Amino acid sequence: MLDKILFLLCLAAALADQRCMPGAPQGFHVRLSIKTALGDEAYVWNENEMFLFRASLAFAMRNHMGGQQFEVSNIIVCNETERVSFWFVVTSPLDTSQLIDQENVEVAVRKSRNRINGAFLLNDKTLEFIGILPTLAAPFIPATPPWLIAFGVVMGAVGAGIIIMLVSSVVQRKRKANEKTRDEDNDEETRVKTVENGAARDGVYNMSFSEDERFTEM
Amino acid sequence: MEKDGRPSWDSPTQFVLACVSYAVGLGNVWRFPYLCQMHGGGGFLIPYLIMLCLEGVPLFYMELAIGQKMRLGSIGAWSAISPYLGGVGLASVVTSLYLCLYYNILNAWSFWYLFHSFQPVLPWAECPLNSNLTAPIEECEKATPTQYFFYRETLNISPSIEENGGIHTGQALCFLLTWVLTYLCIVRGVQSTGKVVYFTATFPYVVLFIYLIRGFTLHGAVNGVKYMFTPKMEELANPNAWINAATQIFFSLGLGFGSLIAFASYNQYNNNFQRQAITVSLINSGTSVFASIVTFAIYGFKATVNYESCLERTRILLLNTFELAEDRITIDSVFEWVEKLNATYPQQFSEIADQLENCNLENELDTAVEGTGLAFIVYSEAIKNMPVSQLWSVLYFVMLLLLGVGSMLGNITAIITPLRDFKVVSRMSNEVFNGLVCVFCLLLGLGFTTTSGNYWFTMFNDYGATFSLLFIVLIEVITVSYIYGIKRFEKDIEDMLGHRPNWYWKIMWTVVSPLLLIIIFIFYIVTYIQGGTPTYQAWDKEQGKSVVTNYPVFGQVFIGLLLVSSVSCVPLTALYVFCRKRKQGKHHKQENSLNAVSF
Repeated sequence: MLDKILFLLCLAAALADQRCMPGAPQGFHVRLSIKTALGDEAYVWNENEMFLFRASLAFAMRNHMGGQQFEVSNIIVCNETERVSFWFVVTSPLDTSQLIDQENVEVAVRKSRNRINGAFLLNDKTLEFIGILPTLAAPFIPATPPWLIAFGVVMGAVGAGIIIMLVSSVVQRKRKANEKTRDEDNDEETRVKTVENGAARDGVYNMSFSEDERFTEM
Repeated sequence: MEKDGRPSWDSPTQFVLACVSYAVGLGNVWRFPYLCQMHGGGGFLIPYLIMLCLEGVPLFYMELAIGQKMRLGSIGAWSAISPYLGGVGLASVVTSLYLCLYYNILNAWSFWYLFHSFQPVLPWAECPLNSNLTAPIEECEKATPTQYFFYRETLNISPSIEENGGIHTGQALCFLLTWVLTYLCIVRGVQSTGKVVYFTATFPYVVLFIYLIRGFTLHGAVNGVKYMFTPKMEELANPNAWINAATQIFFSLGLGFGSLIAFASYNQYNNNFQRQAITVSLINSGTSVFASIVTFAIYGFKATVNYESCLERTRILLLNTFELAEDRITIDSVFEWVEKLNATYPQQFSEIADQLENCNLENELDTAVEGTGLAFIVYSEAIKNMPVSQLWSVLYFVMLLLLGVGSMLGNITAIITPLRDFKVVSRMSNEVFNGLVCVFCLLLGLGFTTTSGNYWFTMFNDYGATFSLLFIVLIEVITVSYIYGIKRFEKDIEDMLGHRPNWYWKIMWTVVSPLLLIIIFIFYIVTYIQGGTPTYQAWDKEQGKSVVTNYPVFGQVFIGLLLVSSVSCVPLTALYVFCRKRKQGKHHKQENSLNAVSF
């Protein structure tokens, strides 16, 4: 009796293993680069870590296909290498002989990618699901391009400099022109004063020296 | 102000700094290191220094002497030396005009890069993503992010010179800013320029010094400096090395544009320009060597970074293909593992053989680049790998800007000074005339901000000034030595300095420099003829690299026009003066005969 049960279990295991192999149509190839990511703080990859991986994948499947109770036993892993890379397939919790198709698994992984990464302290580059492209972060586009701000500052400064220079030259020129006219005015005033003084001292108007051309034009 | 009313420098220091600021320009940073690399590293210094003594300093001395004696811009000075050769001055002005049109575009690009440095991630560090956000833009993938930023985002370059899009608004704004800045620096003529050069001449050295320290502390910098300074003496046997040394000295000092004559014309009559000429030339060459040490440290860093990332990529490829643990292959053992795996798993290895890159440090160092490629692509690539890259980026582009603006001041003074000697212009105020010149150059130069603008820029850079300058300076030195007479020139110098120039200068002016110039001239003509159709580098969007393309017919015609328009000023002016003198001569004869008759 026990032999038969053992035989059936081994058969089941063997059947399951056949569905998980490199290049399996419903499977995915996973690669972890722990030493690259963590350097000296790298943890050793062992069975417990593998258990965590299978658990987080089950979590991802539960999140995506709501209602179905995926267990760790639904995630079948094979072909582990010392690189720390392996293949996995996902069986349906309702019927262990059925594999979940690739598209569903892909969407499930995409949705919970950050959580899976976080469980292993890795990121999209160091925990690779070959075939599932990470959605790259949208670049942050600010309202005004920052270069315009710097440009505005410099342009404003230079423009202000020019206006100051031009205004100061105009002011200088006006001041010079004012000084010149003031000098000329001073000269004129002194001349005018002497003339006035002379005229004030005149006595009786002497007719013989007046111009009489008006009368004697010939 | 002098007694004849001509503005002057506040002190001889301002004049020296102005000359240094003008001569030390972008060419010291991006042309000299390239030549060093091409012609055997440290060994290139030998022909360079010899040419400096034979050709650079004597010609520099001569131009300063002419400017200080005649106290006029290039047109007036050459007309005074010999009435038939006023055309030499005019040719200088035309060449300076071409230079002014295209040179400020470089400053516009420096401004553009400078403004884009104020971001948390430098825009040329990573490729931008395409509209689906799935992958980087294709053009950027094929080229590098720095090349993509330069050709696509800065220039938005068209596939060839024939195709033209509109004006790139960002470029046009930066171009406007550079002209406004130039106007601010020259608005009152020598009074403003004299104050600006204190900054533009000294600050680049501060930055170069900071970069020297930063460069030498970078990983792998020593590789680059070692590579540069290992002299390859066999290169000295190559005549190209000597010709290139002579040409580099010639263009680096900025001879023939009329800027030196213009600067010197504002000097006091008895200024000791002999010492200043030697000082400025030595500073200029010293800066070239200094800048190339910095450049090679940066080259070494960039080459080492590229080499190590190549090794890293190979390591990961091997790890992933052969499923080995991560710490089995280290960066140092990549090569031995390649051989081991090739021997043990030949079939698997051949599958990835085409993905394997050939990582070679020498090859990375060998990529010699000059010109805008070095300044804007190679340097920015090195900067993005430095820690705190925004700071280094800002410093670097401020330095480029100051070097460019400093040279620009000389260029624009070379146009303004001779034109101000004409009565029509001298009635206008300084500010208005300078403003008009700036607006004129701005409007014409906007053509360089279009999508094909970079190709026109390259055309102007390669053909606008090179050939004409050689011709101009050759005529200058022959005129001074033989037409004006070396004895008269000696006496003028004695008048200004108090002593005659010694035999060394006289031999250089009369024999050696003209001979050298004729040799370079012939070499240029032979290269032009042998080169066949002139070509340029067009950026191919699909391949993500530059392709050599022939200039179309209108391009070649334009090149011809550029060359002819400045060179022909000399014979045309001579002809014009000759005809005018003949008419005047006839007129005088008629008057004399009339007087005799109407007795």
